[in-house]
Amino acid sequence: MNIIEISHLSKSYGRSRGIEDLTLCVNRGDIFGFIGPNGSGKSTTIRILLNLIFPTSGSATIFGFDVVRDSKKIRSHTGYIPSDANMYDRMKVIEFLKFGAAFYGVANYDDRIRYLLDLFDLDPGRKITELSMGNKKKASIIQAMIHRPELLILDEPTSGLDPLIQSRFFHLLNEENQQGTTVFFSSHTLSEVQAFCKTVAIVKDGKIVNIEEIASLRKKQLKKVRILFPVTRTIADLGLEGIGPVESGSGKNLAFFYSGDINVLIGKLAGQHIENLSIEEPSLEEIFLHYYK
Amino acid sequence: MNRILFKMELRRNSRGLILWSAVIGVLIFFTMSFYNTVLQYQQQIAGMVQMVPAMAMKMRGFSNINDIFSILGFYTANNLIYMMLLGSIYAIVLSSNILLKEEYGKTAEYLLSRPISRGEIFTTKMTLAFLYIIILNLVATLIGFIAIMIYKKGPFNFQPFLVISLYTLMLNLLFGAVGFFVSVLMKRAKPITSFCVGLVLVLYFLYTISRISGVNGAFGYISPFKWVNIAVLSPSYGIEFSRVSAFLGMSVFLILVSGFIYRRKDILT
Repeated sequence: MNIIEISHLSKSYGRSRGIEDLTLCVNRGDIFGFIGPNGSGKSTTIRILLNLIFPTSGSATIFGFDVVRDSKKIRSHTGYIPSDANMYDRMKVIEFLKFGAAFYGVANYDDRIRYLLDLFDLDPGRKITELSMGNKKKASIIQAMIHRPELLILDEPTSGLDPLIQSRFFHLLNEENQQGTTVFFSSHTLSEVQAFCKTVAIVKDGKIVNIEEIASLRKKQLKKVRILFPVTRTIADLGLEGIGPVESGSGKNLAFFYSGDINVLIGKLAGQHIENLSIEEPSLEEIFLHYYK
Repeated sequence: MNRILFKMELRRNSRGLILWSAVIGVLIFFTMSFYNTVLQYQQQIAGMVQMVPAMAMKMRGFSNINDIFSILGFYTANNLIYMMLLGSIYAIVLSSNILLKEEYGKTAEYLLSRPISRGEIFTTKMTLAFLYIIILNLVATLIGFIAIMIYKKGPFNFQPFLVISLYTLMLNLLFGAVGFFVSVLMKRAKPITSFCVGLVLVLYFLYTISRISGVNGAFGYISPFKWVNIAVLSPSYGIEFSRVSAFLGMSVFLILVSGFIYRRKDILT
């Protein structure tokens, strides 16, 4: 069953673009990465899902409910961690957390709050104004998870967190995911998407350019190829289709990204004298850059 | 209406209410304390006032010099400005900020991710703002009444006092509605306190001009200050249907339109 269904969703801000004809689905139990550089439309998409802004055209549903008409029902089962942790400054951490939890009508949330405060090592008695950015982020994470939501929408959730807390955060997310929570994870930090997500959508200039499982994306698409020849050669001599970004296009050492059939590459090289050949899995970062070139 | 949000707003805005109530209360009491002195020097003051241009007398709401020597006339001439002007400034500043500060304070993203509809947010904040405007008016009226009871030397008619207090309450509530209306029209979140205070002052200025010049046509009625009948010593003074309809009709209209716009507004934090 799809938890999130976005269909031909567009949003324009007057003359400037937000997102354009965006379509995607997130399955129940998935950890869905939503990656793209700043300004690509990630936050616009999330804001529509939360009904902070209204779509210009298209539609989106969460749990089968329309994000515009039924936003209150959706929010009852959703947790959201914004990229900027903005809170009511005059409150203490514990007041802020209890205030947020009260909206969900959760009974006995004190134990859950205490557990999360301990996990993230956050002092409940401190005033929000006194918190560092990292501690504000911790409070923001806790407020989104107190009511054990069915869906977590995360917008750059780890910015400002130190590596130890990041690791605890991902551990907690995995635990929640194993208990059935679906995660929609927006980020431009590719390493964390690579390590944590099962599926990824790459967004560029307000449009989805690819949606793929992380494993399959890394397997079947781009290869990083390095060939060492005894004499000087150019990349054109290889006569290959599917050559992507080139690191070194002439000389004894050729290095390039290849998205064609690997058998064709091996066949072309079979009749030639080479000194060394390496074909590597590219990092997600390199795949990502490939889409943006 | 949402009880949780209401309790939070109640606490969040209480300091402002206490401060404004204290300031207006002190001003009313302080001003009323001069009443006995005015009576004491009645003849000298009457002589001095003869030299004051008729326009300035009209501006203060006097038709007759003797008006100033009745306790109600003195109260209206000297204290009404606090509730009409300061009360309206409090009302518009409170109501224009109560929704907008979630946006420029960037907490709207947090609030709107809770299970609460925009309609509930609007209704809760509107109820709170109007409740605080009513409390401010009650406090000021009570202080005014106590001051009158303390300083009066002759008879005091309670009914005109109550009617003028109701008019100022309706004026303040109307400015509360104006505050909501202005705030939902803002596309980009930023504080609009200066603009709102300026708007009240400009409308008050228009009202003053219209009173001095004696213009009673459409020009004067652009300003809702003009909708308040301040002739408290007039024998026929009372609640007028047309004035009440104007206040309530405009307030309800602005609130309904504001709620409609807020439900469909992009919240850009």
